[in-house]
Amino acid sequence: MNPTRRDFLKTTSLVCGAAGLPTWVFEAEAATAAAVDKKQLADAAISRARKLGVTYADIRINRYRNESIATREERVQNVSRTQSFGFGVRVLFNGAWGFAASRIVTPESVRRVTAQAVEIALANSRYQRKPVEMTPAPRIEGNWTSAFEKDPFDVSIDDKIQFLLKLNETAMKTKGVSFVNSAVSFQNEQKFYASTDGSHIEQYLIRSHPSFTVTAVNRSAGDFQTRSSLAGPKGIGYEYLEKYPWLKEAGQAGEEVVAKLDARPVAPGRYDLVIHPSNLWLTIHESVGHSTELDRALLWEADFAGTSFLTPEKTGKLQFGSKICNFFADRTQPEGLATVGYDDEGVPAQRWYLVKDGVFLDWQTTRDLAPLVGHEQSYGCLHADSWGSVPFPRMPNVSLEPAKENLSLDQLVAGVDNGILIYGNGSWSIDQQRYNFQFGGQTFWEIKQGRVGVMLRDVAYQSRTTDFWNSCDGLGGQATYELNGAANDGKGEPTQVNAVSHGCPVARFRQVNILNTAVK
Amino acid sequence: MLLTEKESKSICDRLLRFTKADDAEVSVSSEDFSHLRFAANGFTTSGRRENATATVTVWIDKKRGSAAANDLENASLKMAVEQAEQLARISPVDREYVPTLGQQSYRLSRGYVEATVNISLSGRARAIDEIIRACEKEGVIGAGYHHASGTASGFATKHGLFHYQRSSLVSLSVTARTPDGASSGFFLRNHFDVGKLDTSRIGQEAIRKALDSKNPHTLEPGVYPVILEAQAADDLIRFGFDARSADEGRSPYSAPGGKTRLGERIFDERLSVYSDPWHPELPGPASAEDGLPAQKIYFVRGGVLATLRYSRYWAKEKGKDPTPGPVNTIVESSAPPVSVNEMIQSTERGLLVSRFWYIRGVDPRTALFTGLTRDGVWFIEKGKIQYPVRNFRFNQSILELLAPGNVEMIGASERVSGSETQGRGASLTPALKVKKFHFTSQSEAV
Repeated sequence: MNPTRRDFLKTTSLVCGAAGLPTWVFEAEAATAAAVDKKQLADAAISRARKLGVTYADIRINRYRNESIATREERVQNVSRTQSFGFGVRVLFNGAWGFAASRIVTPESVRRVTAQAVEIALANSRYQRKPVEMTPAPRIEGNWTSAFEKDPFDVSIDDKIQFLLKLNETAMKTKGVSFVNSAVSFQNEQKFYASTDGSHIEQYLIRSHPSFTVTAVNRSAGDFQTRSSLAGPKGIGYEYLEKYPWLKEAGQAGEEVVAKLDARPVAPGRYDLVIHPSNLWLTIHESVGHSTELDRALLWEADFAGTSFLTPEKTGKLQFGSKICNFFADRTQPEGLATVGYDDEGVPAQRWYLVKDGVFLDWQTTRDLAPLVGHEQSYGCLHADSWGSVPFPRMPNVSLEPAKENLSLDQLVAGVDNGILIYGNGSWSIDQQRYNFQFGGQTFWEIKQGRVGVMLRDVAYQSRTTDFWNSCDGLGGQATYELNGAANDGKGEPTQVNAVSHGCPVARFRQVNILNTAVK
Repeated sequence: MLLTEKESKSICDRLLRFTKADDAEVSVSSEDFSHLRFAANGFTTSGRRENATATVTVWIDKKRGSAAANDLENASLKMAVEQAEQLARISPVDREYVPTLGQQSYRLSRGYVEATVNISLSGRARAIDEIIRACEKEGVIGAGYHHASGTASGFATKHGLFHYQRSSLVSLSVTARTPDGASSGFFLRNHFDVGKLDTSRIGQEAIRKALDSKNPHTLEPGVYPVILEAQAADDLIRFGFDARSADEGRSPYSAPGGKTRLGERIFDERLSVYSDPWHPELPGPASAEDGLPAQKIYFVRGGVLATLRYSRYWAKEKGKDPTPGPVNTIVESSAPPVSVNEMIQSTERGLLVSRFWYIRGVDPRTALFTGLTRDGVWFIEKGKIQYPVRNFRFNQSILELLAPGNVEMIGASERVSGSETQGRGASLTPALKVKKFHFTSQSEAV
């Protein structure tokens, strides 16, 4: 579905009554956006940039809408809506990048800011040691809309509040639950891109993010435990709140958090692990997603996020994981947070393997990274989190393929004599080259002689990326595959956030180091 | 361009005039930000952004709604007010509502320097080029991030408060790596006054640490006596002095029996932790939560937990005064400061840590964090640095780290900025020598 701007303005104003907000607010908002002739502004930027002698220029004119509601127990703590509108111009001049941005979206401002971007590139180009080169991209005239059934910005605030309060009430039903915090946030990105390549692209994206944390306090002992939601943000609409069994999970969380207070402390040592997708997605994100970013491998992120243990000469050679491990990058993945029609330099979304049959195969690239490893095309990983941010390489959805056989969680557990079953993501930390990591979780269950037993607490697993993935000897089938993700993955200087999803089946790992994290 | 006080007041006045709500607080903030990044001994990205945001929060029949927009024309401001009012009308009663404040009296702090905001693009490019040249001369590969910004904020309430303040910040971090990828060094400093940021020193320190880290040895993880440079101490030490979570039994400052640890000696008796908006080296905002005039507050004094932070709502619930801060963090010793060199000379066997990385909470009950050393760890024996060692992962409770009996020596407090904040924040933190620090595994990362 590729609606025009007029179509979605029409849709927006049609549903105003349902939102409980005055029609004129939506119409005024939409009118503000509609009043801006983006193509005219793009022409102003591109022609000014060309006149100043750039080899490449693009302009992004973007509008971001956010809505968030926060509650605790029976209370609503905050309801807010924000929007941000502006543009950013990026130029390549004398082999150096320059960027400038403003919230004042007028032709005069566009021309002024374009000149600023060129001025910055000029100042830097005097000291540039190696000129930037870019792979070509096709000229695109297109619109793209992310897949959603119900635009959350068209749903009544009251419905959302009732959803959260009901969730809180359900979690609090279990005796011993002390507190519950819950929240929901929705994002809408309305993006326009134009470049000296002749492309003009409009995109409309929706993301939804419900979450909760239940707390049980044993006041006499001075102890407390938490249990957060297992499901995370997704690139879909309000239907996510209606279709996922949130209330069932809130009830389960209430029971589990109380049980955690009396759970058995884990004995540190080596265990076989069966890891649920609600935990494993984050391990994939940190150890596979970030290590296969080419900008890290080429030291571009050395000052902050770090580099990578993967280097170009390891491409096609390194045994990253066991032979059953196939990791793919995919900007077309249904429900993915990083799913787009085109990236922020006009490259169409793609799917490709990063690791195939356990061997490290390929990188995440952009138009200025691709030539550095001999690629003729970018994989389309350029992204900026705002009109005011410099676009730079960001992670696509990175996922682990399920087994072809229809293996279940129970079947994987059956192959474990002494192990731990882990659900939900908890604490996480990984070094700057993505070798050594440590992950917690939400709930942990002992596995003895192939059966799931009692609940454990104070568990964290620590390993080294290639050791961990090479110890993977079992994957669940498609029926166990789930998509989870992060709404705010940070990277870059200044830090920008990126929403990204990771799909995987249940997976089994042999003899992983387990820590007891309680202070004795 | 940053909004002037007059412009900010005009926008706040309009927002308040547009609303018919029973109570309201409004704000407008503007920012000028520019940066230059470099890596692999070359410039990478560079840019400039100007933005402003108006925010309005209203209460109608004690029901709350909030909205924000970055278009400051009247039509947009009206739209934001209308949205906030509509959200308030359909929301349940805000049980934590406390009426907004009337006019307050502020003692301004000095944290704004015009030259910092208007930094010369060519001058910055030249300064970074000099650092890259120094890296090339020493045979290392440099990367780094320089940013400069100014912010101006106006804040007003329906009850007559208006306050305006400006701040500026300039920061530079440099990472140097040897071409074999076997060693690295890092240095970061920031300041509100561009004239006090020594870019050359920052580059030289990063290069020195990289060269001093060549040929690292492998050492077994375990419990070691450790000297934390001020950077490492600031990276790791995080304080959350929230009274509500402590009262609710879910904080490291909660005690068995439903009590808190107020009045208990939780840290070494030489250590104090306080917030001071008027500290000349670390000026903080003149206003704290909801426009409360910020004050100097001790949270830990002589090792004793002296104060917890009461929000205006929680203070009302508990019959306390709201806490006017913190607006910054200063960790200080009452004893004469000990230099890092003196700490090294006094060490029979231990480790010197330059910085930490990827620090995440593991157990909130004990303020236990995990993370890794990065860009410089050295083994000390018989009062001398013997050799660099590879990085470690740690799992360490902050309460145990600073507990009476674990802190041996304390340095002079210096302005440092956390490794994971990219120079956006700062604290005054001393170097520390502690008896026990828990390293739990090795990392081959550089």
